[in-house]
Amino acid sequence: MSVLEPEVNITPQKSRIPRAVFLTLPVLLLSGLMIFQGSIPKMGPDLIAKSITFLIFNVVFFLMMYTGKTYKYRATLFTIIAVCFSIGFISNLIAIRGSMAIDEAHMLAGETPFCHLVIPVILIPAALTRTIIFPGSLLTGFASIAGMMVLWLGATLALGRGWCSWVCFFGGFDEGFSRLRKKALIKKIDPRWNYLPWAVLIVIVLLSALLLTPVYCEWLCPFKTVTEFTKITSFKTLVQTVIFISLFLGLVVVLPLLTRRRIQCGLFCPFAAFQSIFNKINIFDIRVDQEKCKYCRKCVNECPTFSLNEECVKEGRALMSCTKCGKCVDDCPRGAVTYHIKGTPVKLQSDTARVLFLYPAYIFMTAIGGSMVVDALAKLIKLATTGSMI
Amino acid sequence: MSKLRAIIGYTLAALAVPLVLAVFMGQSFWMKELVAATGVKVSPWLTGGDVIRTISHDEYQISIHEQVFQGLLSEKKEGLVQVDWKPAKNLPDRIDEDIDYDGDGKNDFHIALDTKSNQAYVQSLQTGVIGLEKSYVLKDGQAVRVRIKNPRK
Repeated sequence: MSVLEPEVNITPQKSRIPRAVFLTLPVLLLSGLMIFQGSIPKMGPDLIAKSITFLIFNVVFFLMMYTGKTYKYRATLFTIIAVCFSIGFISNLIAIRGSMAIDEAHMLAGETPFCHLVIPVILIPAALTRTIIFPGSLLTGFASIAGMMVLWLGATLALGRGWCSWVCFFGGFDEGFSRLRKKALIKKIDPRWNYLPWAVLIVIVLLSALLLTPVYCEWLCPFKTVTEFTKITSFKTLVQTVIFISLFLGLVVVLPLLTRRRIQCGLFCPFAAFQSIFNKINIFDIRVDQEKCKYCRKCVNECPTFSLNEECVKEGRALMSCTKCGKCVDDCPRGAVTYHIKGTPVKLQSDTARVLFLYPAYIFMTAIGGSMVVDALAKLIKLATTGSMI
Repeated sequence: MSKLRAIIGYTLAALAVPLVLAVFMGQSFWMKELVAATGVKVSPWLTGGDVIRTISHDEYQISIHEQVFQGLLSEKKEGLVQVDWKPAKNLPDRIDEDIDYDGDGKNDFHIALDTKSNQAYVQSLQTGVIGLEKSYVLKDGQAVRVRIKNPRK
């Protein structure tokens, strides 16, 4: 048998449909509750947006169950969520403030929406000073600090660094750009770049603690390009703007296009490095069955976040930076790479592990991404029917 | 032993779904619990600190915030004090005010604020006052931050 010849047992077509329908039922119920929030709105953009969102999320999950494939469906939905997040977020900002730029008045009033990327830098100051170095609101308003912390804690316990492929509403941007080209123009990337997110993490954590300001948000976050940014009122804010736009274009658009990898998530994002630590305590991981693996390197070459190398494949497990995106599992021509539950044998019940992982991951994706898709769709429908999103 | 590990593994994996549901269904409860348990607040460097004294004029009000010297391990040698004037619609074109931020009965600095242009001028009246840090337009008023020395350092 050739190395690339498939050796995966595929369930006969007839029994796959009822099984997929059965496995989709819990998601159908929960996504209905989350998207419609207990009431069906009157006929209008809201009902159309919610119905389309409900359909999209359930069809995607059904296809995951039916085909046994994860990556391409997840990546497509993940990208849709990121784009919808920006559409909804920016149009809301323009409706409320008239601009994507946040001014000092709103920052002093604690109205900056909190995002998970800040979490690593706030922990040391929070522990030592009992204060949060972010100009947001603790409990009230949109994207409060405590609200995001609760989501992060729950997702971290349930998914580990799976957050970066199932929950993060920014990750879909570089995932989307990384999938636009069929072949990579840059194939060889020095593995030493894998240390860069850790270096960025250490530097921003220490600097933020010393200065008591969120250094990553102020100077480096590329996603300010597609969300909000400090109003340009000085040379400093001009430099900050040039930096974050350059980083977005470089790390989120151009390099993912050229390499077909998630460069921002894999080689720069300090939150991603931080989140990797929690893969150590998470019950789900990705394993390589040594008896099936023929070391064809396909998984190593294709991993979007550089979480597989020859050494770890020989050891039978992905690196701690694995985001559980499912690409290696889907791409392995011999079915040697599988989702896995720690403590259980690698060979057995691999689809059980996959399904048990997909439920919490998909519920998180639906709960967070669903409202973003609804919001963006409703605004796009409004734009199409009235000529204005606001 | 391996069977026990497998049972624990599957049990923990199955608990991930109820955990996720508990997070979403009880989010507002967990948020309040988290804040209450940790006792955290937003950094006074960002908010200006708690308001410790208010002075009422006929049509507007002055709020004097606490002195902020917070450092990571110990207090900083220099900090700030923020003074707000609200509401915006009742503010005169020019404010001239002596401020006693530490409540010792002695004025610490004189401030002249042009509310139209948001230009401020601070004159130190005590040795602990370094000078103007920045003036801000608030959502409903104006504020000035003044750099001060930490009397305990």
